[in-house]
Amino acid sequence: MIEVEALTKRYGSTTAVDGLTFTARPGTVTGFLGPNGAGKSTTMRVVVGLERPTSGTATVAGRRYADLPAPLHAVGVMLDARSVHPGRTAYKHLLAMAQTHGIGKARVREVLAQTGLEPAANRRAGTFSLGMGQRLGIAGALLGDPATLILDEPVNGLDPDGVLWVRHLVRELAAEGRTVLLSSHLMHELALCADRVVIIGRGRLLADATVQEIVARSERAGAVRVRTTDPEALARELLTAGADVTPQDGGVLQVHGASVDDVGTAARRCGVTVLELGAESGSLEDAYLQLTGDSVEYRTADTLGRTR
Amino acid sequence: MSAATTVPGAARALATARSGPTFARLLAAEWTKLTSLRSPWWVAAVTVLVTGAITYLSAQASSVDSGFQPVDSLSTGLVLGQVGPLVLGVLVGAGEFRTGAFRTTFTLAPRRLPVLAAQVLALTAFALALAVAATAACVVGIWPPAASRGIAVDLTGGDAPGLMLGMVAFGVGLALFGLALGALVRRTVPAMLTGLFAVLILPIVLMMVSDPMVGADPASTGLVDGAVPTTVPGTLMAFSPGGAAQLMTIPASYGPIDGAPDLGPVGGGLVLLAWIVVLLAAAAVRLHARDVR
Repeated sequence: MIEVEALTKRYGSTTAVDGLTFTARPGTVTGFLGPNGAGKSTTMRVVVGLERPTSGTATVAGRRYADLPAPLHAVGVMLDARSVHPGRTAYKHLLAMAQTHGIGKARVREVLAQTGLEPAANRRAGTFSLGMGQRLGIAGALLGDPATLILDEPVNGLDPDGVLWVRHLVRELAAEGRTVLLSSHLMHELALCADRVVIIGRGRLLADATVQEIVARSERAGAVRVRTTDPEALARELLTAGADVTPQDGGVLQVHGASVDDVGTAARRCGVTVLELGAESGSLEDAYLQLTGDSVEYRTADTLGRTR
Repeated sequence: MSAATTVPGAARALATARSGPTFARLLAAEWTKLTSLRSPWWVAAVTVLVTGAITYLSAQASSVDSGFQPVDSLSTGLVLGQVGPLVLGVLVGAGEFRTGAFRTTFTLAPRRLPVLAAQVLALTAFALALAVAATAACVVGIWPPAASRGIAVDLTGGDAPGLMLGMVAFGVGLALFGLALGALVRRTVPAMLTGLFAVLILPIVLMMVSDPMVGADPASTGLVDGAVPTTVPGTLMAFSPGGAAQLMTIPASYGPIDGAPDLGPVGGGLVLLAWIVVLLAAAAVRLHARDVR
């Protein structure tokens, strides 16, 4: 369980995180989303005690990170692929990590195997590709078999195999009852593996909801896509019925304000042949762009942002 | 959300039953970190070779003098050899900040200060072995010139034992001075340049200024019987990190450097120790009180 409450972090006159509150719960993958510079990494660094909050609190399992008796066993942290000395081999890097908590070499071998790094165990981390660096970071996070995992952009730089692997891994970890906080700038990635999404922009909370709830907020949520032999005729029919129609390429219409049933009936009424008809679900990406767009828009008109 | 109530007992038990970073564990980790890099070994190898070679060349050059005493040349290789431990220390002190590895280190040990203490101990052990090896190389270096003059080198009597002890302490001290600088400055190149200036250049500059024959101090020009008054630059030199360190490599029987107070090898060692303690304390305050980014 990660609890962030009214967290604010300022660097001089710059406010990186501004009154942020959210909770990542056990058994859940919580996605942490925001544009670059939104304050994701700063928040994560505050949570793991590298930086102190200007005000507010961040706790893991009910304690401040610095008060955890055995941090590696409580929280698996992967902040940045550049948290490894490039001159050290993967094995020695993990071994030194393990030694701080009295973890044996067998466990080091285990996480190397689990992350597919066994063949590269004796290569220096400086020679690693970005994807291998991410795997090494994840291996370090898994080392202490922690109940909470904090992963900053874990799929960044991974090949498709690696992306799938991370997706399965975090689902598995959450299914085991662990808390997983996962940041990403890849919206669709979070849609596929997160239960909840916390979206921030300019250090402020924009949304904290399930993936479905956020998708439902999307502009395109509830739209109907229809492809017909005569889009113009159908469009006229739908407009008179009070729906909103956006013509697209290839005889496709995007319809708002009408259900799939309504569109089908309308097509029958005007004698148009329907080639394709279906409900179009909104994507997390759309919802995200809309939300972060708002955050920029309302930045100067603060009261509007508050009333939303 | 229902999964929250079905956390496997095993995962929880593991999180609570296992213990965290004790000092002994941090020390083991720091030792692994130090010895798993290539740079410390390179620095150590080059230091031993260069120190031995320069000592040999210097002794060889001196061996033509009629009053040649091989032991007098013992510490000559340290002129360049001192750079090694200093560089080693800076690499240990600033290396993690340069590479970002500190993020891993301080998330594992969020209390931070024991990490610095463990680094000091691990480096002390490594530098001690290096300093002993470098001193041994110096001993080897004076052997052929001594033999060529038919002089038997006696390392058990006179100034030799104290001098060798001072040379080892000199190496360890400079390594720790480098670590303290690196940990305080957190950037390799500025720390390295500061260290080289303080240890190599500053003492030479101060010595040139303090030399009573060169200096403008009229009171010191009348010296005949070796009663050299101490000068301000001379005092500064003796209390500078490099000057104090050098005192450890000068046999006790030589007396003070002209214009400098007579601290002796032990006094010089204590001054260097004070520098190390002050810098380490500043680094510790910075580490404890400020964010690591």
